[in-house]
Amino acid sequence: MSYIYSFIFAGVVCLIAEIILNNTNLKPGHIICLFVIFGSMLDTFKIYDFFQDNFGAGTSIVITSFGHLIMHGAFLGVKQSGFIGFLNGFFNYTTVGISATIVFAFITSILFKAKN
Amino acid sequence: MTLKYNNSYINEVSTVAGPYVIYGPFKYDETFTDYYDNEETFEKCEIKNYIKCINILLGKCNKSENDIDLIISSDLLNQLMISNFMMNHFNIPFFGVYNACASFCEELILASTLIDSKKMNNIITATSSNNLTAERQYRNPVEYGYQKKKYQTFTVTGSASCLISNKKSNIKITTATIGKVVDFDVKDSLNMGKVMAPSAYETFITHLKELNLKPEYYDLILTGDLGKYGKTIFNELFYKNFGYYLSNYEDSACMIYDNNDKRVLAGGSGIACINLVTNSYVIPQMISKKYKRVLLIATGALMSVTSVNQKMSIPSISHAVSLEVI
Repeated sequence: MSYIYSFIFAGVVCLIAEIILNNTNLKPGHIICLFVIFGSMLDTFKIYDFFQDNFGAGTSIVITSFGHLIMHGAFLGVKQSGFIGFLNGFFNYTTVGISATIVFAFITSILFKAKN
Repeated sequence: MTLKYNNSYINEVSTVAGPYVIYGPFKYDETFTDYYDNEETFEKCEIKNYIKCINILLGKCNKSENDIDLIISSDLLNQLMISNFMMNHFNIPFFGVYNACASFCEELILASTLIDSKKMNNIITATSSNNLTAERQYRNPVEYGYQKKKYQTFTVTGSASCLISNKKSNIKITTATIGKVVDFDVKDSLNMGKVMAPSAYETFITHLKELNLKPEYYDLILTGDLGKYGKTIFNELFYKNFGYYLSNYEDSACMIYDNNDKRVLAGGSGIACINLVTNSYVIPQMISKKYKRVLLIATGALMSVTSVNQKMSIPSISHAVSLEVI
């Protein structure tokens, strides 16, 4: 059942993105930013945690999860070392994702060429 | 502003076509199937095929570099990069011009004016565009692989050139209308048809008015690269003012690709689009006397990456040139 819930959550997020893309002048880059902000707002009010508890891994795949992790790290930083921790913890949980993106992009750019 | 010419002829043409264009209905002098074509970058591939296109033209008309007085060339990249590097290979005087996709007719007008004034005898006009070099300059990096919208046009990959001369041939350049910049406050850089259709219509109407002609005078009215949606806008604008639809109107963007290929979205675009259709379809049809009078309206969206990023509108321009069989 958790697979189905995951699929439903990620599918709904993608559906919303597709509707925005088809009906507005926003470009894919804008929509990604929009969803990161949306994810971080949901996390600010602890709503994303609710989704994560109920929909499982699907919530951590889509781009909204990036915003959620940014705010999660920031709040943890505030708890540990006060206001400065807000900035310190910003990339606490997202470092893995960002580093992986850089490393994989680097390897891909060496091994492959854009074709089309 | 409409000019009349007495002494300007299209003597010979050449075409080189790349991916997607080669699956279309027309035949080209040379083709290539890969965006690299054994070169390191897309830009080098475009330069290589542009040089090939000029060499094919020189070979077809049996002329050497010394016989050519001038090459007028244009492409889509900043500072006319492709034209500049192409001209590195030829020892011929060079004019680089840019009116975006309206450059083809701009070149024909300049060449015809110079030839008609008897200052020069043989001028080559050439255009080149490449889907991926244009995509990454005007829109997104190729590697980004973003999802495209259905009303987007798909830049043509290919090069085309014409030899314009005072030596008589079957096809004469008779009149030309120089267009004005039109701005309908469209800001969507993906919707080129919507940007350019009003400009094409303006130039078309100006041409008819200044020469006191009816649209039926021409066997074919061919606009540049409006695409499926831009073509509909042009048709509707005409209908709104004249009360009927043109039966002799076509858009080269809707002709150049295989119409069943969904990958090309709303059709072709790019400087070479109308030039390839003219060289590979219109001129052969004129030689075989299917068309006797053709009006070419090259349409250009004067888009700059800076102005688009600053959310400014996209101005457009169209120039018209009429060809007649003699």
